[in-house]
Amino acid sequence: MSQQEPSSDQFSGRMGLIFATIGAAIGTGNIWRFPRMVGANGGGSFLVPWLIFLFLWSIPLIIAEFALGKRSRTGTVGTFRIFAGPKFAWMGLWTAWISTAIGFYYAVVTGWCLNYFQTAIRGGLSQGVDTTEVWNNFLQAPGQVIIYQMIAILITMAAIWRGAKAIEKANVMLMVSLFVLLFTALFLAFVMDFEDGTLDGFVYMFSIQPEYLMEPETWINGLSQSAWSCSAGMGMAITYSVYMRKDEDTTLNAATMCLANNSISIIAGLTVMMAVFAVSDDPLSAVGGGSSAITFLVLPEVFAKAPGGPAIQLLMVAVFFLALSFAALTSMISTVELCVRNFVDHGVDRSQAVGFTSVAIFLFGLPSAALWILVDESTGVAFPQFLEVQDHIWGYGLMFSGLFIAYSIWKYGWSRYKSWQEENEVEDFDMGDYVDNGVSAFRDDFINTGDNDWWIGRWWDAIMYIGFPAMFAVLMLSYFSDLLLNVHDPWNPTNPHGISIILLFWGVTAFIFISLNKYVLVNRMVPTKDSPWFWPLSRDFELEPRPLFRNVPEGADAPIDMLPGGSDPFVVQAGETLPDSFVDEYGETRSHSTATVEAELV
Amino acid sequence: MSPIDATRVEQAEARSRRVPMTAMLLPLLLSLIAPASLVSPVEAQDAEPGYAPEDIWSDEYAFQIFPWGGNERVQFKTYHDYFTMKDRMQFLSDRNPEFISYHEGLIGGINARGNEMGSDDYEGWYYNHASPWVKITGDVAGGDCNDFVGDCGNYADRPDVMFVGNHHAREWMSYTVPMLFIETVAYYYGQAGVDNDGDGLIDEDPWDGIDNDGDCAMLNASNQDYNGDGVACGPGDLGVDEDFSEQFITDLVNTREIYVIPMLNVDGNRYDREEYCGETAWENCRTSGWRKNLRDNTVTGFTPLPDVDEEVDEGCDGVDLNRNYQFEWGAPLGATGPLFPGMCYAGGPNNDVYNGPVDTVDNDEDGKVNEDHVDGKDDDADGLVDEDWMGGNSEPETKFIQDLTEMNDDDGDGSSEFKSTITWHSFSELVLWPWGHCTECVSPDDEYLIYHGNVMAQMTDYAPMQSSDLYPTTGDFCDWHYGVHDSYCYTIEIGNAFHELPEDIAHIAVRNLGISFYMSEIADDPRYRAIVGIENTTTRQWLADPANVTVPENGDIPVELCLDTSFPYTTQIERTHLMWRFVEPTRQQNDFGPTEWVDVPWMMSAFADTEDSCVLLDGANGTMLMSHIPMPDTSVGKIQYKAMLGTTNGAFPFTYPTVDEGGNYYELAIPYRASFGSAVLAVLMFLVIASFVWGGLGYTLRAMFDDERGVIGLPEDGG
Repeated sequence: MSQQEPSSDQFSGRMGLIFATIGAAIGTGNIWRFPRMVGANGGGSFLVPWLIFLFLWSIPLIIAEFALGKRSRTGTVGTFRIFAGPKFAWMGLWTAWISTAIGFYYAVVTGWCLNYFQTAIRGGLSQGVDTTEVWNNFLQAPGQVIIYQMIAILITMAAIWRGAKAIEKANVMLMVSLFVLLFTALFLAFVMDFEDGTLDGFVYMFSIQPEYLMEPETWINGLSQSAWSCSAGMGMAITYSVYMRKDEDTTLNAATMCLANNSISIIAGLTVMMAVFAVSDDPLSAVGGGSSAITFLVLPEVFAKAPGGPAIQLLMVAVFFLALSFAALTSMISTVELCVRNFVDHGVDRSQAVGFTSVAIFLFGLPSAALWILVDESTGVAFPQFLEVQDHIWGYGLMFSGLFIAYSIWKYGWSRYKSWQEENEVEDFDMGDYVDNGVSAFRDDFINTGDNDWWIGRWWDAIMYIGFPAMFAVLMLSYFSDLLLNVHDPWNPTNPHGISIILLFWGVTAFIFISLNKYVLVNRMVPTKDSPWFWPLSRDFELEPRPLFRNVPEGADAPIDMLPGGSDPFVVQAGETLPDSFVDEYGETRSHSTATVEAELV
Repeated sequence: MSPIDATRVEQAEARSRRVPMTAMLLPLLLSLIAPASLVSPVEAQDAEPGYAPEDIWSDEYAFQIFPWGGNERVQFKTYHDYFTMKDRMQFLSDRNPEFISYHEGLIGGINARGNEMGSDDYEGWYYNHASPWVKITGDVAGGDCNDFVGDCGNYADRPDVMFVGNHHAREWMSYTVPMLFIETVAYYYGQAGVDNDGDGLIDEDPWDGIDNDGDCAMLNASNQDYNGDGVACGPGDLGVDEDFSEQFITDLVNTREIYVIPMLNVDGNRYDREEYCGETAWENCRTSGWRKNLRDNTVTGFTPLPDVDEEVDEGCDGVDLNRNYQFEWGAPLGATGPLFPGMCYAGGPNNDVYNGPVDTVDNDEDGKVNEDHVDGKDDDADGLVDEDWMGGNSEPETKFIQDLTEMNDDDGDGSSEFKSTITWHSFSELVLWPWGHCTECVSPDDEYLIYHGNVMAQMTDYAPMQSSDLYPTTGDFCDWHYGVHDSYCYTIEIGNAFHELPEDIAHIAVRNLGISFYMSEIADDPRYRAIVGIENTTTRQWLADPANVTVPENGDIPVELCLDTSFPYTTQIERTHLMWRFVEPTRQQNDFGPTEWVDVPWMMSAFADTEDSCVLLDGANGTMLMSHIPMPDTSVGKIQYKAMLGTTNGAFPFTYPTVDEGGNYYELAIPYRASFGSAVLAVLMFLVIASFVWGGLGYTLRAMFDDERGVIGLPEDGG
């Protein structure tokens, strides 16, 4: 592989990073997910929690993620290993998993977009076509869905193979065309909705229905949509900050990215809402049903009514779905990159990691593509039940990632307070001292580094230390009590809307990850006998530390020795040589198996 | 259009083509019958769509000329008096001895109560006529003969029917209607397939109050309401129920014993006609006249005839025969009767309904008087029921009904043979059933009585109700027949006057004709007939399905329930109600999954009567009930609903939709009906959101590219 900068991979500049992050954040979450969330959660009522959590959850979290990644210079697993300590590397795996699990079905949705693009080109979405029929026919043919899912993954692989530079270039191009097309669609939808003299869709989207604000569901959906859409808690920002230049801004970028993302959401939401209210007889049930298909049903109808004749209409609908596909692909790229980064961090060849991740995303995405394709009796629209359940489970799982990030910040703060106590020979706990020297430590050390255009104040500490646990507890409690109260037969694990299925997915995942922490994430198992098949089970293995390679740009000063996992000799900068021996848990010094192997990075 | 309909239209057209030719050939004859007919068909057709009556029917039927000929009285163009009526009855009996026998009063002997009765005991107090009556049954001279009653043709296996007219002297239509019944039976018995209306079809329109063959509907509009009651093609109009089955009549007569007493109160009727109002009573006594019989209640003991000038006795003489029967006689329940039973107040409010003297006889000879009132209970617990009555059945006329009922025991089982009974009265256009003596009470057979009552109300377009719902009465014919003798008994209040105008006689009588046949028909087992009838009606009824429910722009959602007019429904909410529940997708599910309903309890909404009619599944008109589902305009989801229908006795919880209609409830989608919100507030909200998001974005972008600017939010001390 040819490398322009042999020691590290970087974005070329600020705009490159912004576009890459915005590209990752803006995706189908804005166009496919946001409008149906607005519809299903009472229109304007949904915008209240959505906006509040943008400032209370998403932006602070992205700031934290940027700060974490910029210092650790590793993917999520490495970041948690360094910041939360070796025992908590599994939190990084959880974060990576949530993102990857979303990627499983995200690839399917990306495939839908690609398919709609080719259908549009061939004139299959012109005026008079029954969009429901197109949708149902497509969704109920698993072979087609899987083919387009595969195409989506292949394109992603191609884009990601080359690293940050290629990602950056593709993003800039695609984002600009998406903006243009979205505004065109917005204008068309506005004209359509205004044909009857009222702007029902606009009014619905911006009218607060108080009863919805009383329901926890609205708030938890507001949070999860805000986080999902901005990729807050997904580790995307951690991953991309690995490629930051040494003096890159982390705070204003975070705010810009989230605000840009939400700006697009409003435009897309308004477009879909106005279109639905213009074309549907019973718009409220169309949007209120929260069908994942709504974008694909409504927007072709919008474009089919565009002025300028069939040619323009065809052009517009085709380009729109092309842009939507691109938006989805850029998000897809970040998802795969996030996973790949974790492999590369641990010494796996990039090409191998990309291939392996892509195959896994394809295989695990198959159930979402083909399983449980049902038809809603009331509307006659097919919907992918399994995919929607996945969306539900991992969408809410993002909240844990947010909490984990907060946890590593608490932990850093506490350890700094302890060392401050030692330095100043203070023994008793004092809240004032703790706030001054512990709580603010992360912010002082990693965020307000002098590179930022936006100085972060105490409010951020308050959100991290009080806001996050409080929001998490309230939302989780209310969510589960709501599930218990309102869902029929919630404990039945086969009920896709029940409580058991979600706890099962979360529980099994968390259990496996915590179990793997010691054996796979921080250490690795080296077989002691020649029994290649059963050695993990027969305990005929020894543990040795797993090396972690940091992608530190040249000239950057990113010391990590003050961090819980920073003193580990096997956490090294890429290109550095590893220690050739280590002290095992019994206190014996042993030689490390890869000490002599030169890690090949990037 | 069915083949029959097609044939009908062809015939009608053929007839309409034929008329002008007939008019040319026989102008004189036609002008004699109806001068207008020479020109009216053509003119009528030019003026308005539809036919004139004579275009589609025989001229006889078109001008309501009955086929049996005869003078104006026999043709129901004017009233019979007692004598002409009696003559006509005798004449018909003589002409049809095989199925009609004529009688006056009873022969007498020892009656069911052990009293020695003579034939003169049944004769009126003043004019000394016994009530004339006919018995109609197949082979009326055969069967068992009854020495007390004086009739033959008694068969143990034939249920008996009693029709009584003219309890009240001035109610002249009440003996005219049974006379039309006798005439009809006498004429049509034994005939096969008579085309009554001359349209070429036979037996196409039976008695049911409906224009089954649609010939009335073919008339031009001005002829559709022949009787002028405001209802087009309703009962009593030409073309409605005009071609009944002769075989049906023959079969009925051969399997029932029908006792028709057209004029029970001959004394009173003669007095009303000859003294009180006069021959042309409709001119001066349209809604007044003499009501009671001619009992002499004068304190002095002697007054030959209550006359208009007799100041003291005028109101007090006479007994209201329809308050004189023994069941709950004189019970002062606020009923229309004297405050103290047996008292008559001259000029007082109740002298028109004087119920007769108190009985002072120790009927069971146990030394006590009036200790066991006639109410179906053993009041004195001596093992005998109703054996020492307080009063009632004191008049020759009521004694006649009493002994005819109690001595006519064909099968010797000791109970009355009369399974169904009618008493005709005037006026108000009502069909009444027991009870009359108590309010807020229902009889054990309530829903069955309601059912038959509703059928007959449909047949006549009269209003059905329980007798006491009109006003309470004690000692009336029907309470006694039903309460004592378990007979399904109906009081028909005919027409709109005591003395109807002569030109109205025929169509009013025709309108009431079907009832007699219906009551004869159900006499075999009225209870079972009601059960079967109710069962049958339920299959024709419907609850509006979702396609037929209109969700209004706002407010409650109306749901219709169409019931057979004869169905004895109640609107009490415990028995008849709409069950509904509003189901909406739970919020838990709707953001990621399909609509799945959670368990929601059913709610109840009452049904209320409406003025509207509806069309039953078989095309007949039905009674429409309406229920409303309260539903806020903002609700979106589905209403599942079903109707629970109860009868007045609550014995039949019928449900709609029925199982045949697939599923046990309907599901109605409710769209969002309220406005989507305030435009002004929405714009404000938009501005707030936009300024935060777009404004914020603009701010950060500016900050990002503004190198002059320092760090945002940097504290004074440098951070």
